[in-house]
Amino acid sequence: MKIRASAGPAILTGLLSILPAVGLVLLPVAADAATGPATDGGPGAVTPLAALGPPPVPADNPITAAKVELGKLLFFDPRLSGDVSLSCATCHDPAIGWQDGAEVCRGYPGTSHWRNCQSIINSAYYRKLFWAGSAKSLESQAPSAARGGVAGNGERDVMEERLRQIPEYNKRFKKVFGNARPELPDAWKAIAAFERTLVQRDTPFDLYMLGDKNALGPAELRGKELFEGKARCIECHDGALFSNEKYYNLGVPPNDVFDDDPLKQITFRFEQFAKGVSEDLYRRTKIDLGLYYRTKQEHDIAKFRVPTLRYLVFTPPYMHNGVFFTLEEVIDFYDQGGGDDHAKLLTGTATKTPVLRPLGLADDEKQDLIAFLESLTGEELTMEPPELPRYGVFE
Amino acid sequence: MSTRPSSLLRIAFAGLVLSFAVTADRATAATSQPRALGPLPAIEAPSAELAELGKLLFFDQRLSGDAVLACGSCHRPEAGWTDGQQLGIAYPGTLYFRNTKSVLNAAHARYFYWDGRLTGKDMPTQVRDSITETHFQNMDGRIMLERLKQVPEYVRRFRSAMNAEPSFGATLKAISAYEKTLVSRNVPFDKGTMSQAATRGQGLFEGKAACIQCHEGPMLSDYQPHRTGVAGNPEITRDPLRHLTLRSFAKFMGVPGFEIIREDPGFFTVSKQEEDRGKFVTPTLREVSRTAPYMHNGTIATLVEVIDFYNAGGGTAEGRDPLLKPLDLNAAEKTDLLAFLEALSGDAIEVGEIDLPPYEAIADWRSVPN
Repeated sequence: MKIRASAGPAILTGLLSILPAVGLVLLPVAADAATGPATDGGPGAVTPLAALGPPPVPADNPITAAKVELGKLLFFDPRLSGDVSLSCATCHDPAIGWQDGAEVCRGYPGTSHWRNCQSIINSAYYRKLFWAGSAKSLESQAPSAARGGVAGNGERDVMEERLRQIPEYNKRFKKVFGNARPELPDAWKAIAAFERTLVQRDTPFDLYMLGDKNALGPAELRGKELFEGKARCIECHDGALFSNEKYYNLGVPPNDVFDDDPLKQITFRFEQFAKGVSEDLYRRTKIDLGLYYRTKQEHDIAKFRVPTLRYLVFTPPYMHNGVFFTLEEVIDFYDQGGGDDHAKLLTGTATKTPVLRPLGLADDEKQDLIAFLESLTGEELTMEPPELPRYGVFE
Repeated sequence: MSTRPSSLLRIAFAGLVLSFAVTADRATAATSQPRALGPLPAIEAPSAELAELGKLLFFDQRLSGDAVLACGSCHRPEAGWTDGQQLGIAYPGTLYFRNTKSVLNAAHARYFYWDGRLTGKDMPTQVRDSITETHFQNMDGRIMLERLKQVPEYVRRFRSAMNAEPSFGATLKAISAYEKTLVSRNVPFDKGTMSQAATRGQGLFEGKAACIQCHEGPMLSDYQPHRTGVAGNPEITRDPLRHLTLRSFAKFMGVPGFEIIREDPGFFTVSKQEEDRGKFVTPTLREVSRTAPYMHNGTIATLVEVIDFYNAGGGTAEGRDPLLKPLDLNAAEKTDLLAFLEALSGDAIEVGEIDLPPYEAIADWRSVPN
């Protein structure tokens, strides 16, 4: 379920007046709509930018203050991992944009992860989590991370018994969920409820859209116009979330940190093996196959889910492999029409999106665009780690 | 349900346990003659090359999830290939609730573990169990094999010894091959070079002290479950990590009442028969002088105290095996019995410095096959 400002035909007409007048009614995202999940508004339609509404809440996991408090403790609790050395907050650090600031996430001790950590801020709005959309909810993302071999490496039975060894958790779980003892699935529910409070709805952009015409300055407004027009970012980064949540291959260059790091090379191969690709692909690929791992369709190779652009001041580096450190690099990348189609190099099947083409942006236009992008981030949302409850003894 | 091989294999173990468990050949000592003590049968020596590879792997911490624990971390050569503790250490964030068994002579064990849940005929499966168990090495086998592929020396050795890439199965075989070399050497009992005291001790062992009723045959074990009345080790509930590990193990093994379990269920884990609660499988006595402390929970510190324990007719716990009766051994007899037990140990098997081969980044990674 997605909360988006509803678009009337009048707004579309307004958009069309900016676009080249070549009879374009449907924007060229149709090709990707055929292969990716459906969105609102029909194939190719763009949802206008809007202020962010409240996050969707599933009926079977309502938010209560007690549940959020419990979820916060669990989010910071390293006992929900294999060797109790890392918690969700280790890789999704409040002080580092609720991610970890590395190109490629640090991963479990003795390993490296292989993709850029995403921020928790506003993750509540995504219909799917992870870069390839492999988790369908916050409730299922949490255990996937806690149990992943290069993430938490936790195992269900032991994690559950750790919770049950902690008197304060016994008390809190009983109060919130009503079971005699903590049940591990409820831990993920509590964490999801906590994450649903980590939203930002008062950025300068939001304030502007809600009526404060002074919230955005001239540069930002010029940038907004470029975003919706010449730079065409809105074709994928649309709506209140600034993401249509579809999957595209942009030709993002591979990250050369893999070239000389043994741990990353280990994880790279492990991921191919674990995600069940053919032996041929296991042997040959040196690129992250993205959506392909879920669909096993060649036309999905190297496609990744459009991330939100909100909070991005605090979430560099950018892209699924953290290959761009600054917004300048990102904009230059799009200005040149994206990069090489590595999927085509690998299999012969082209998957790079035709949406990207050179933009011809002037330097001052790029600066304005950056100003607008930065207006999608408000105050930094930090949080002190809570004091965690201790184990008890039940003799 | 997790799709990691470790989890799927663990589910399969539940079936494996039931089919290979000690119940298959259970017999009471009262109705059959104990098998004579004697030397161990010869076993086919594994390929030296494979055993050398297995030795490196045995001491390689990279076979655990977070790369801190090797087999050799709990099975230390200098501690009789155990860890010398009452109760074993375990993967960080857990602690073990039983005494760590020695790897010495594992090739001759009829069953593995204090509860006999794995057959001794299948060493690779026991190795797999240790590597993938959450509270042991907590290793996802798929990551493990990719780690091995990242070590050029391992790639070379696997190719040479097994004509294959490093793989999970090949790793289990290599470690098993190494363990097959860890057998007693130059044991005074086997060579017939025991002292007179030890010889008298053997007579007591087979006669008045009647140890042979359970400690029979070349391994000095019937590999059957018995309740000797050993007191529980309070640490398994006093230490939160040990208690939670006990519960999670009992949960996985399908022990009813695991939520509130406070005592080691022992052989009940395998048979699910109430009468088997608190029974443990007889351990071998070979190399016993090296493997203190004793019993499934390490609560008896020395062999002298073990002898006193049995001299008193075992422990006071309820349901003690009726085979155990007070022995009425005098001081000289106890000394002789101790001498015999010590004569069951051979040369110390020492391991020099292990030079673990390092990872290397694959040169020109983008151009070579994975």
